[in-house]
This record gives sequence, structure tokens and C-alpha cells, in this order.
Amino acid sequence: MKLFVDMKNVHYTYRQSSPDPLLAVNDVTLNIPSGQHVAILGRNGSGKSTLARLINALEQPSSGIVIVSGMNTADEGCVWEIRRLCGMVFQNPDNQIVGTTVEEDVAFGPENLGFPQSKIRQAVDASLAYVGLSDYAQKQPHLLSGGQKQKLAIAGILAMEPSCLILDEATSMLDPVSRRDFMNLVQDLVQNKGMTVINITHHMEEVLLADFAHIISDGKIVASGIPAEVFDRVDLIRSEGLDIPTHTEIAHEIAAQLKQNLLPMEAISWSGAQQAILRMLAAAKLQQQPADLLADRAHLSGSIPPDEREPIIEVRDLSFVYSPDTAMAMRALDHVSFDVFRGEIFGVIGHSGSGKSTLIQHLNGLIRAQQGHVTVLGMNATANVDIRKIRRHVGLLFQYPEHQLFEETVFQDIAFGPRRMGLEMSEVEQRVLKAAHIVGLKDDELERSPFELSGGQKRRAAIAGVLAMEPDILILDEPAAGLDPAGRDEILDYIANMRDAGVTIILVSHSMEDIARLADRILVLCDGHVHAYGKPSEVFSDESSLEAAGLSMPRSTAFLNDLKQQLPALDNHAYQTKQAVRNILQAGLSCQNAKECDQI
Amino acid sequence: MMKQITLGRYYPGNSLLHQLDPRAKIILSVCFMAVIFLTDQPLPMILVAVLTLAMILISRVPIRHILSSLKPILFILIFAFVINLFTVQGDPLLTIGSVAISDQGLYTAIRMAARLMFLIISTTLLLTLTTTPILVADAIERLLNPLKRIRFPAHEMAMMMSIALRFVPTLLEETDKIMKAQSSRGADYDTGNLIAKAKGLVTVLIPLFVSAFKRAEELAVAMEARCYRGGEGRTRLKILHYGPKDIVFTIVFLIACTAILLVQYL
Repeated sequence: MKLFVDMKNVHYTYRQSSPDPLLAVNDVTLNIPSGQHVAILGRNGSGKSTLARLINALEQPSSGIVIVSGMNTADEGCVWEIRRLCGMVFQNPDNQIVGTTVEEDVAFGPENLGFPQSKIRQAVDASLAYVGLSDYAQKQPHLLSGGQKQKLAIAGILAMEPSCLILDEATSMLDPVSRRDFMNLVQDLVQNKGMTVINITHHMEEVLLADFAHIISDGKIVASGIPAEVFDRVDLIRSEGLDIPTHTEIAHEIAAQLKQNLLPMEAISWSGAQQAILRMLAAAKLQQQPADLLADRAHLSGSIPPDEREPIIEVRDLSFVYSPDTAMAMRALDHVSFDVFRGEIFGVIGHSGSGKSTLIQHLNGLIRAQQGHVTVLGMNATANVDIRKIRRHVGLLFQYPEHQLFEETVFQDIAFGPRRMGLEMSEVEQRVLKAAHIVGLKDDELERSPFELSGGQKRRAAIAGVLAMEPDILILDEPAAGLDPAGRDEILDYIANMRDAGVTIILVSHSMEDIARLADRILVLCDGHVHAYGKPSEVFSDESSLEAAGLSMPRSTAFLNDLKQQLPALDNHAYQTKQAVRNILQAGLSCQNAKECDQI
Repeated sequence: MMKQITLGRYYPGNSLLHQLDPRAKIILSVCFMAVIFLTDQPLPMILVAVLTLAMILISRVPIRHILSSLKPILFILIFAFVINLFTVQGDPLLTIGSVAISDQGLYTAIRMAARLMFLIISTTLLLTLTTTPILVADAIERLLNPLKRIRFPAHEMAMMMSIALRFVPTLLEETDKIMKAQSSRGADYDTGNLIAKAKGLVTVLIPLFVSAFKRAEELAVAMEARCYRGGEGRTRLKILHYGPKDIVFTIVFLIACTAILLVQYL
């Protein structure tokens, strides 16, 4: 097998001559055969992006050797040919577009390579057609969606006639639909064009598409193998702060609870996990499991009894049109009505462009209603009242809120809101400390510059900045976007803390998993109108309806639905792993009649 | 609020003006600028207006769109108008208390405002509304090419300009987003005195600069990854070609400009 990348004992140190050098890549030896689809996994800061840059000759190793397609990246003369062969797609779609029109951007690479004009033309047209953006050739890139921008990046690379594609967290800022679309394109490149693909990611679904996977931790490769082998090492993956496919996780959890063992790679596939669970349940029945396993079945949902609910936000018949009465008029909201109750986590979900962002801006008066009513805490947010009164009660955090940090220290940044409210200094300080505590920021972090913090810490600092204003309602737009799985879990846990601290939360996301995990009630938006609205059990009862809105079931619910066909007693209303495990054990170990038990 | 700024935004189309060689457009807009400043009689100024209107019609850019590009400079227009109106000496037309408006003042005020308006409309129309920034940059590079001999970095200048223009809409969107986010934290950009407003801007400018620097860093890496290494050996998708259309248009336009100057000075 011909090797495309051949790395031997590679080290890479940032700030080599400074007093605190950082060893990002530590003795990595890595082979990637031509035409292979490789996934490289690791938490943020594990050195995986540096690895990509070493392959692309954007960095040269401090020691060791990197050979790409027979060329040494340390050889000055080969650098440009290596970069032509290995195209790179980066994380932020906006920051890799050079051209002012789509076509000009695709031409940028071939122009740099000095292709003759006729060849550039051909390459541009063919690449745009391949990624499906031909109709947009003359458009300005900032008008494209995130998914389209990343496809544009691929087109720009294809036009350079590469043989390898390096994706550096290229899908982390995309919504699930665009991500699937993008990965389909990548799969096609591997299968039909024989392209070598190196995908640096922390999305497990993408890893399952790969032929081979490597896990990197602190600059070292700690596991390698086909994806099934890698995912079988559940404990390692967990300790690396990465995700395991939901069905695999459920099977492993059940194995642990029943004190049984899974066979190697038994629970990697969807059906494999089902069979494994049924096998373990049957074995457990023979062994007469102790009854106390079932005793721990406390009801999970913390929702408030219906008659005690107090509506804190009432939205009635809300409609909104951007640029009305012009050719560009666009309807963003169409007769939307719903209530949010005090003390709940209210999930708002919908695909990109479904109107989520327009909707939440109505709730604190950043946008005034054109038609319909918004009542917040009994105040009318539609009429010309002093909107600052409402903003004081409604905190709003947009996507990537860390981009709005500006003060010298984290403390001062968190204090900005409370100070603007005209509070006493002692009160401000008290509130800052309380908010920092809720989101898990330590005291020494408060005195640091917000720009020195890690991505997850910055995000929590930004959230604290709004929490410190002690709003009754906190609106969070995609709070986990762009974080690695460990960072995401942390943020979601702190959101649950906030609810426990008495804040009503409106959680906006396109991730079904995040919403399902936390929300007490859910609003599904599709093309500006209410597609579904109610408790998770109601919203998730109709799979085809969800798919029509461009969304998918939570993985755990989908898994239980399938399992229910073989285990009729199963309660399939579970939206997270723990609950799913509980339901399976309950159904599997306490089946009501002999006929059902026989089926196991 | 930010999205209304059209200055510097390309208006897609396929009119004669869109197709014209950008070098011709740059040269012509410089000539037209000179004509605007050399005319001060009513008739030639009307002719300037007619020529501007003709260009608008040829470009097929809606007039409303062009007028909205004047919004950002409305303040300057009014300022120039008012200053001239009250300061230029002449026969008083109207006296309110101690201030007098003279016929000379009114005339100069109208002239100044009209000049500014023609200037903005013609340059935005020729250079930004109908020409993509990359083409403008390309044309500037070509026109400055002779200066490369004295080591003038013509290619780098052009590349900087086109990237700056490419990021105008992106940074405007970002500014809008940051202002909304800070408003949600109690920042207030609409009320208060000038000092309070200037202080308020800090809350926007710092995050904006931080993000712009980050973008610059990432873009530089992305450009390197796509084999960018300066102007040497670079080819173009769109090779500028001064064709018959461009020659005819240039001649017609220059004749019109000369005619206006003749009316002015003869």
C-alpha cells in the first residue's frame, strides 16, 4: 500500500526559544495510506490541529521527519507542491474566504499556482458544479449559509487538483443538516475520486464514516484502529472527554449495571447494541438479579404540576417580516404563539433559518413586534415602554458570547451589566462572585484577562456577565456551539445549575440531544411557524413530523423505539442515556406476563 | 441599523457599466471628479447632473438603492450646506435676527451640496456598485504596475484593498451583533452626551478589534495553505481586456466631459 503521509518520531514545540515552551506534538509516528479516510480525534488543545499543519507544511517539525507523497515537508522546494496536494478546510467558514464573489474565491488557489486562464476557468466551473454551488458563482460569499461556505472552501481546494483533503474541525460550526450534507460530499470524494481524507473532529458520527481512527492526547497518539476498535475502548474515550455513540453507551451502561461483559466490538453497530442488550437481559433473568437494581427508579423529570405554573412570557400571534415591502422581503415568523412558565427550561429548536434568532430578539425588545403581542412578566414588550426595564429581567446570550468580552479582567467584565444597573459597589461584587460561582469560575480566574482563558472558560465568563444582572429569564442561543464534548457537557450541567438557582431558561439550539437532555417543554420552529409545541414526550412522539422540520429524534429515543419492537413492555419515552438504561432494565427485568418474558 | 450602509457593496448586474474594464472606470471617475470641481456655473452643473443620471440609467441600479448610499454622508451634506448658507457674504435675501442668508450664500450652498452628491454618486456607481472589489484592486494594480520598477508594492496594495472590501459586510454584521449583545447587558448607544456615547463605543470596538485580529491571523494561514506567496507568478481568472466597447465608452465619456468644460469656460 502506497503511503501518502509518513511521519516518524515527530515533535513540535511552540515558542521554542521562550521561557515557557509548549510541546504540542510529542513523538508521533503516523502512517496514512493513499485513499484512506482517517479520523483524528482529541479534545481541544490535544495537538490535533498542529498535526494537520505539520502535514500541510504550514509548520515544520522541531525534530523528526514528515514525508508527504514522497516529499519532505522540511524541504523548501517542496512546500508549495505539498500544500497544493493537501487542501485544508478550517473551522471558521468566514475566515478562509478571500474572494469577493464565490467564483473569484474558487479561483484564488489556481491563480496562486499560475495556472493558465483557460485552465482556471475550467477548474472553477468543474469544482463549483461538483459541490453544487454553480448557481452561486457570481454571489457574494457572505450571503451563503455556513454549510455552503464550507462547500465553497472544498471547491477552492478541488480547483487546485489535490489528492488529499484535511478537515480541521470543518463541521464544528455547522448545524446537523449541513453537517450531514458536508460529510456526504466528503464521502463522495473518498469513494469516487480516490481522495485521501484526514478529518480532525470530535463528532463521533463522522468518525464512524472513517476507515481508520487515531485518538490524540497531549500531543501523543494514544489509540489507533478501525473506528469500531477505537469506540470499544469506552473508558479511554470517556477519559479523553470525547463522545461515544449513544447506543454503544447504553449497552455499556447496561453491561456495567448487570455486571456482565460485552464481547469485543459487540455493541458498535445499532443492531449489534440491541442484540447485546437482549442477550444480557436474558442472562440476567436466569441469574435472578437482585430486586434492588430496580428500586432505583426515581422519576427523572422535574417539571412543575400544571396548575401551579405561572406564565412568565406570553407570545401571541407574533409575525415578523424582514425588509417588508421590498423585493428582498423575507418572512421570519408566522403567527407564533406560546407560553414560557416560571422555573422551567424551555427548549426552542429548529433548523438554521427557521426563525429562532428573530424570535428570541423579540423577547428582550431588540426587535419590536410588527404584528402580535409579546408580554414579559406582565409588561408589554411590543408597545413603546422603556425597554431597559424589560432587558433588566431578560438576559440574552447570542451564539459565541465570548466574542463580546472586552474588559481588562474577567471580574470587571462580569461586573459591566450590574454596574450599568446602578447598583452599589458591594452589591456588584457580591453578584459577580455569585454568578462566577454558578458557572464554575474560580477566584484566580476572575483577576485574569478574559482573552487569556480557554474557549470553555471564556464562554462561561460571558454567561456569568448576564447572570450577574440576576435576570428572571435567561435566553441562551446555542450555548454549546463549537465546544468539544467535555466543554459541552460542562456548560449543559451549569445550565441545570442555573435553573436550580431559580432562573427560567430559554435554551435555543439545533442540537436535539442538548435540548432533549435539559428541556422541560419544547417549541419546534420550522420556516417561521410553530411546528410542534409541548412536553418532550409529545414532541418526540412523531418521528416523521420531526423529520419534516429538518430535525431528527434524540438518538436514545430512536434506539428505544427500535428496541421496543423486540421488547414490547419497554417505555420508549427517554431522552438521555441514564433514563434509557433505566427504562430498558425496568422492561427487561420485570416483564409482566410469561409471554413477554419469553420474548427476551 | 448597520445593514443600511451600501457604500462599498457590489450590486450584481450585467449592464454596460458592469461589463466595462475597471481600468476605464477608474480613469473616468478621476476625470469626472475633476470636471465636478471645475464647474460652478448653473448650466454645466445641470449637464453634470444629466451625465450622472445617464450613468445611473445605464447601470440599471435602482435609484432608491443609490440614494440610500448617500445616507451615511447626509450629515456632511447638510453641514456643508448650512455652513455655506450662513457664512458666505452677499446681498441679503432673508434676515432672521442677526443672521442673514445672502443670495451668494444660498447659491454656494446649493453648489457645494450638489457637488458632493455628484461626487459620491459617480464614484460609488462606477467603482463599487458595478465593479467587484477584486476587479477594482486588479485594475489599480495594473495601473500602478509601472511603479513596481521603483519597488512600489502595487500587488500588495491591491490585495490589501480587496481583502478589506471583502470583509466589510462580515465586520458590519459582527458590529451589529456585538451592539445587540452589549445592549442586552445594559449598554446604551442611543442616549447620553457625546462623552458617554464615545465611552459606550469602547464596548463595541474592543471585541471588534479582537475578532478582526483573530480573523486576520486565520485568513493568513488559510491563504498560505492555498499556496499564496505574493504577486509573482500569479495568473488571473479574469484577465482585463480593453476591448472595443471600453474604447468607445471612454471616448464618448471624455467627449461629454470636454463638452461640459467648454460650456463652463467659453
